[in-house]
Amino acid sequence: MSATFLRMALLVSLGLCALGILWRVSTWFRVRIGPDARTIPLHRRLSAAVGGAFAALFSRRTPGILKAFVLDVLLQRRLFADSKVRWLGHLFILAGFLLLLVMHGLAKLVTLKVFPAYQATLDPFLFLRNLFGAVTVLGVMMVMGARRHRPASSPIVRRPGDRIFTALLALVLVSGFLLEAQKVASPRAFYRMTKEYLDTTDPEETLPLRTVWAAEYGVAFPDLQGTPDPDKLAEGRELHNDACASCHTRPTSAFVSYPISRAMAPVVETLDEADAERWLNYLHVFACFLGLILLPFTRFFHALADPVSLLANGAASTGPLSPAARATRRALATDACVGCSLCDDRCSVAPIARHLGNPALLPSHKLLATRDLALHPHSLDRVDAHARRVAEGAWLCTTCGRCTERCPVGLDLADMWDAGKGDLAHAGHPAPAQWVQERTALEWADSLGASPGALDVLRDAASPLSAHRETYSACVQCQTCTNVCPVVAHGGEEPGAIDLTPQKVMNLLRLGMVDLALGSRMVWNCATCYQCQEHCPEGIRVTDVMLELRGMAYRSLGQSRERRQPE
Amino acid sequence: MKYALFLGCKIPAALPAYEMSTRAVLGRLGVTLVDLPFNCCGNPVRSVDREAFVVAAARNLALAGRAGLDVLTPCKCCFGSLRHAQRFLDEDPALRQRVQAFLAREGLSLPTTVVVEHLLPVLARGVGLDAITAAVTAPRTGLRVAAHYGCHALRPSDVTRFDHPLAPTLFEDLVRATGATAVEWPRRLDCCGDPIHDANAPLADRLTQAKVDDARESGAEVLATACPYCHLRFTESQAGGARAPLATMLYPQLLGLAMGLAPRTLGLP
Repeated sequence: MSATFLRMALLVSLGLCALGILWRVSTWFRVRIGPDARTIPLHRRLSAAVGGAFAALFSRRTPGILKAFVLDVLLQRRLFADSKVRWLGHLFILAGFLLLLVMHGLAKLVTLKVFPAYQATLDPFLFLRNLFGAVTVLGVMMVMGARRHRPASSPIVRRPGDRIFTALLALVLVSGFLLEAQKVASPRAFYRMTKEYLDTTDPEETLPLRTVWAAEYGVAFPDLQGTPDPDKLAEGRELHNDACASCHTRPTSAFVSYPISRAMAPVVETLDEADAERWLNYLHVFACFLGLILLPFTRFFHALADPVSLLANGAASTGPLSPAARATRRALATDACVGCSLCDDRCSVAPIARHLGNPALLPSHKLLATRDLALHPHSLDRVDAHARRVAEGAWLCTTCGRCTERCPVGLDLADMWDAGKGDLAHAGHPAPAQWVQERTALEWADSLGASPGALDVLRDAASPLSAHRETYSACVQCQTCTNVCPVVAHGGEEPGAIDLTPQKVMNLLRLGMVDLALGSRMVWNCATCYQCQEHCPEGIRVTDVMLELRGMAYRSLGQSRERRQPE
Repeated sequence: MKYALFLGCKIPAALPAYEMSTRAVLGRLGVTLVDLPFNCCGNPVRSVDREAFVVAAARNLALAGRAGLDVLTPCKCCFGSLRHAQRFLDEDPALRQRVQAFLAREGLSLPTTVVVEHLLPVLARGVGLDAITAAVTAPRTGLRVAAHYGCHALRPSDVTRFDHPLAPTLFEDLVRATGATAVEWPRRLDCCGDPIHDANAPLADRLTQAKVDDARESGAEVLATACPYCHLRFTESQAGGARAPLATMLYPQLLGLAMGLAPRTLGLP
């Protein structure tokens, strides 16, 4: 590979990477999450961010930013507090990868300047390169191990490009080790060096030196397999000390590549003939370049977004954020989320998500759904099963705040869910208590009438009380339930006031006309105070029935809503 | 006495003072609290899917059962929810079986002996009014307190077994134990309005307003609560009003002050 071509390729991929980063950073100011973000123009968000950064840098908050940089960004204390395995694994990846990048990838720019005696084939550099690579691999395995053993119902979220990037990272590491192993064992690489430094490639002439390199440096010469000839060894060592020793340590210190080279030794001639060194080199370098180009569009963009987010947390004043700053922080949060799913493990409604088979309830999934709706505001225009599941994620959240508390990058997820709920309501997916008000009880009943079988839910195991007429057959219509109902008492006269009384609801059930009750204001505005049930002289479980009716309505009216929307 | 403390979702997120004051008061009265990795009590999903509600509640019961502890919750909605789940599991063997199978997937099983209690009965009957009176060193003499019962603890009485559903005295007894005066007020057993606030805010506000007005007209200086939902509904609905709000206080805060605990340990300014 020519140096010019390599430099060109590096510059092009660096340029594309920078453009990608700029594009992604621009989304922090363009993406609008939450109803309050919709009215804030781009320039207000930009000026809020720049102004905020300046104000924080030149204020008494500077120590806070420094502290955040050391404790949160470098030492990852939030992750440490949560999972020691993940923390160590993450630190390994971070340190291993950065050190490889700086000391190996940028050897000419950095390492050679700091250590003028640098040679890739000399210790400690030979050993360190293997160490950094091994540490990175170990870190990846630790993090992946800690993420395994998840129930199928709470899967890890994945974004497009994540797998490709992981594959590229693996390719870079594996090809690097293989390349080094091939170079160790390759006779061709040996002759390339003798040509350059001794001006010969004659096997006989180089026999003494070859004896040394076969015995001590792992080159797999087919004719030098057995015990080395002591004379040749002594003769060769002299030449070795003159010509090679200053640049070469024994490759055994490459504790990963050297064992691999032993495994490759039997086939190294074939590999040499196939030009393996060149191909591995291409693979290694181009995987690096491709990874660089793709980086802004994968999960690994968090390497940039997270420090920004953590520093912004450290810089934030104690008061509430301005609406412009909050809008930007939400957009930034969607990039800063690593998808580690620690939030999901602590989520208060995780068992409910498992039972409903709806991962959209889990925070890490909800974050992506919130972002997707912000990026594609018309993506949930249809009322369908997908929209229903996403909406359930929003309004079944109990706002317990455990996700925010646990997030290792300190994202304000509670604020995010609030904003997402607003966006979903705006897109026509509010909580059921809201959308049920789109029609009157009579209109809902009509909509059900058009589809026989909609009330099969009555025989559903989910509604055991309502499904049995004995539950309310004892009702004597005495109106006690209605008389003690605070909702009836305070129902008011304005539109949207209470339509049926509890006693009327019971009567409808008695007559088998449950469809007329499902969409009623009484059912959906029931305070569940249990006055009716407590006072019923016949012991009818009025409130329990009301709650069952809601469950029935959610399913049957929800289906009707899906059917009846305009195409 | 030793309980697993079930805080639910609302208290840690929106009313940490309730947790602080509960821990402070119970600690002083010799009640040990254990923290378990509980999840949502199930109440929010009850209107959508009855079985999901029971599953969520049952998982909490199973966690307590595994630890060999009874449950104490300061939240009346969590209390009612867990008690209701127990009833549904008892009266529906098929449901019980399905829930058992769900729990078995993570190695849990339904306990038979876990008792779910609310903070107030534990204080009144477990610790006992005499012990509380004895612990009071700074009685709130002269303070006129309206005790708000909260629906989900009081009713349905065959599920909650909290106190007499029509003429309860438990909360007033506890108020009097602090040295304060428990005022008589007609709406003491009414709903605070919170459960319908999302569906119909004006209606909820009318319910809340009626209660606050009644307490005030009955001469109360303080509205005492023992549920995060009721408490926050009273404080939020009075905020920004023309009148000075009627003070609200969580019962363990009132008791803590009477026991001479420092206000900041009770989450008070």
